[in-house]
Amino acid sequence: MNANKIYPWYFSSGAIVLYILFIVAPALLGIYYSFTDWNSYSSEKNFVGLEHFRTILAGDPTYLLFIKNTVLFTLVTSIAKTVLGLFLALLLVSGVKAANLHRMIIFSPQVLSFLIIGLVFKSLLDPNNGFVNVTLRSLGLDFLAQNWLGSLTWAMPSIMAVDTWKGMGYIMVLFIAGLLAIPRDYYEAASIDGAGFWQKLFKITLPMLMPTITIATVLNITYGLRVFDAVYVLTNGGPGNATDVINTAVYSSFAKGYWGLGSALSTILFVIMAIISFFIIRLMNRKVEF
Amino acid sequence: MMKKRLLVSLASLLLVSGLLLAGCNSAKTSEGSGKVTLTFGTSQSGIPRTGIMQTMAKEYEQETGVKIDFQVVPDAQWRDLIKVKLASGEAPDIFNVDVDPLSMPANVRPEENAIDLTNEEFAGRMSEEILPTVSYNDKVYGVSFAPSKIWYVYYNKRIFNELGIEPPTTYAEFKAISEKIKAQDIIPFYQAPASGWYQVLPLFETGPNYEHTTPGTYEKLNNNEMKVADLTQLKTVIEQLKEFADLGYFGKDFLSNTVEAGIEAFGQEKAAMLLRVPGTEKEVSEAYPEMEDNMGFFVMPWGDNQTIGVNPGGSAAMFGNKNSKHPEEVLKFFRWITEHDNLQRVFDGGEGNLTICWPEIEPKLTQDYIDYEKNHEKGTVMQAAVKYIDPQWMDIGKDISGMFAGAMTPDQILQNIDKRRAEQAKVLKDEAWQ
Repeated sequence: MNANKIYPWYFSSGAIVLYILFIVAPALLGIYYSFTDWNSYSSEKNFVGLEHFRTILAGDPTYLLFIKNTVLFTLVTSIAKTVLGLFLALLLVSGVKAANLHRMIIFSPQVLSFLIIGLVFKSLLDPNNGFVNVTLRSLGLDFLAQNWLGSLTWAMPSIMAVDTWKGMGYIMVLFIAGLLAIPRDYYEAASIDGAGFWQKLFKITLPMLMPTITIATVLNITYGLRVFDAVYVLTNGGPGNATDVINTAVYSSFAKGYWGLGSALSTILFVIMAIISFFIIRLMNRKVEF
Repeated sequence: MMKKRLLVSLASLLLVSGLLLAGCNSAKTSEGSGKVTLTFGTSQSGIPRTGIMQTMAKEYEQETGVKIDFQVVPDAQWRDLIKVKLASGEAPDIFNVDVDPLSMPANVRPEENAIDLTNEEFAGRMSEEILPTVSYNDKVYGVSFAPSKIWYVYYNKRIFNELGIEPPTTYAEFKAISEKIKAQDIIPFYQAPASGWYQVLPLFETGPNYEHTTPGTYEKLNNNEMKVADLTQLKTVIEQLKEFADLGYFGKDFLSNTVEAGIEAFGQEKAAMLLRVPGTEKEVSEAYPEMEDNMGFFVMPWGDNQTIGVNPGGSAAMFGNKNSKHPEEVLKFFRWITEHDNLQRVFDGGEGNLTICWPEIEPKLTQDYIDYEKNHEKGTVMQAAVKYIDPQWMDIGKDISGMFAGAMTPDQILQNIDKRRAEQAKVLKDEAWQ
C-alpha cells in the first residue's frame, strides 16, 4: 500500500478508535447481553438464548403494546413535524414580515430540555388548575376541558402534540435551508409557462426538496422510535401502561435490575430502526427528474 | 515506518483519552481546595420536608468543613434511580433506600454497596424492631430514624359533625359517609395516583386482615403455595378502590393528584379524608392553624378491615456507600447525626412523627393514639411480611392508575402481581418458585 492510500487512514485512525471503543463495542456488548440473564441481583451471566426475545415478542402482550405505542408515536409525530415544518418554512420564505424573529421563536423550544418543557406542560395541562382547562372553562367551553395527561383517550395525543410543538422548529429550519437552495430560475420559468402555486409546489418545490424531506423523515423517525423523555416526564407511561413506549420499558427493565431483558428490548429497537431507516432512505433517495 | 508511526499515534491517543477520563473522574469528588463534599441521595419523602436535615448539615459543615450535598429526587423515580446508580457504581456517598427485611438485601446488596456499621456505637442504640430492616447476615448496614409506620385515615371532625356522621368501621359505612360528603361538593377521600405509590397502600396495609381471616396466608404466599390472585379479600379491596373512583369519591380528575398536595386539600377542607401517618395533625395545623383540634383518625376500612397494619420498617434508611472515596467522612457524619441531641433535633424538627426508632428519644404519642391502639388488633403489613411485594410497589401503582382510567381490571392487576413475583423469584433463584 503506498503512502497516499495510508495517509487518510492515518488521520482518521483516532476517530475510528473512539468510534469502535464508545459506539461499536457497547452496541455489540448490548447485543451479547440480550442473550444472557444478566441482572443486578447476581454477578453470574448465564446464556439464555432467545428467551428474552420470546418473552417480548410472543409471551407478553404488554410488550407488544409498547412496540405499538412506539410505532404510533413515531408515525404521527413524524408526519406532523414534517407537514407543519414544511408549512412554516414555506410561510417564512414567502416574504412574511419579521421572518427571522418568527423563525427564532418557532425554533426556540428545540434548545430547551424536555425536562423543562415537560414540567411546564404538566402544569399547563393539569386538569384542575392548568392554564388550558382554566382558559377553556372561562370561555364557557367546559365540554372541551379534558384530563389531558390522565385519560386513556387524551394522554398519548397530548404527548404527541407537545413533542411535535418542540420538534417542528428544527424541521422548519431544515426546510428553509432546502427551499433557499432551489434556484429561482425554475420558478420564473414556471411562471412564464403559467404555472400556479400548487403546480409550482408539486412540480418544483417538493421534488427539489426531496433530499431534505428524506433527511427530515429519517431524523423524525429515528427520534420517534427512540422517544423516552417526552413520555417519561409527562406521564411516566401512564395511565397504567397506556403511553409506555419501548424506551420507557427499557428504562424500567434496567431500573428493576433486569439488564438482560432491557438489552433485548434495546436490540429489538435497534433492529426496527435499522430496517425502517434502510427502507426510507432507499425509497426516498431517488434522483429528481424533470 | 509508517505503520510504526500509526501505532505510536494510536497509543498516544488512547493514553491521552485515558488521562482525560481519569481527570474527569477525580474532578467529580475533589473540589481542589481539599474540602470534602459528601453527596446525599434521597427521595423526597426520605428526609423531613421541613428541611431540618439540610439545616443541620449546614451546621455540620461549619463545624467540620465537610459539606453535605443533598440530591433530592421525586419519590416515583428514586427507587429505580438508586438501583441503577448502585449497579453502575455512580451511587452517592450516602443514599437513602426504603427498607424492609425482605427486600433490603436485594435492593441494596449491602455486602457490595454499603459500609458495615455493626461495630459503630450508634448501631447498638437503634430499636430492636428496626434492626432487621437495616441488617443482613448479622451485620448492620443502615441508619434509620423511622418510626414503626401506621397509615390511618384522617378525617375532618367539623365536616363529620355537621353531616352527623361517624368514623366508619365497615366498607358499607365508608361508602355511605363518602356519599354524604360528596353531596356537599367536598372531595370525600383524597387520592394521589400521580405520586405513583400512594394508591397502593390500601391493598397491603390491610394485609393483617387477610392473615387474621385466613391464618397462614403470608406463609403460603412466601412458599408459593398460593397466588396473590387467590386472595379474594385483596381483590375486594381493589374493586372497592375502583368503585370509589367511579362514584367520584376521590374527586374529579384525581389521577393528577400528588401526595404533597394532600395536606393543602385537607387543610383547606376541600377533601374530608386522607391517608397519613401519625403526627399528621401537627403538619396540617402548622400550615392551617384553623384545623387544630379538628382532626380525627381511624383504621382504613377497605375490605371491612379493623386491624391496624404496622410496618416495622418501610421508610427510608441511610446507607454509606462502600465505594465512596470518603468512607471515613461518611462514618463521622453518621456518628454526629446519631448523637443524642442531634437525634432529638431530627425528631423535633420533622413533620411531626410521634415516634422514632431510637428508644432513648421520648415518643410523643397522644392519649388518643394510645387508647385507639389498645382497642384494636395489630398485625404486620403485607409488604413487610410477604416476599416480592414491596419491590413491585410502583408497578402496582401504575396498574391501579390504569384501572382507575379504565385500562385494567382488578383480576389483571392480581395476575400482574403474581407474574412479577414469579419474575423476581426466578431472578433471585428462589427455591419455592423452581
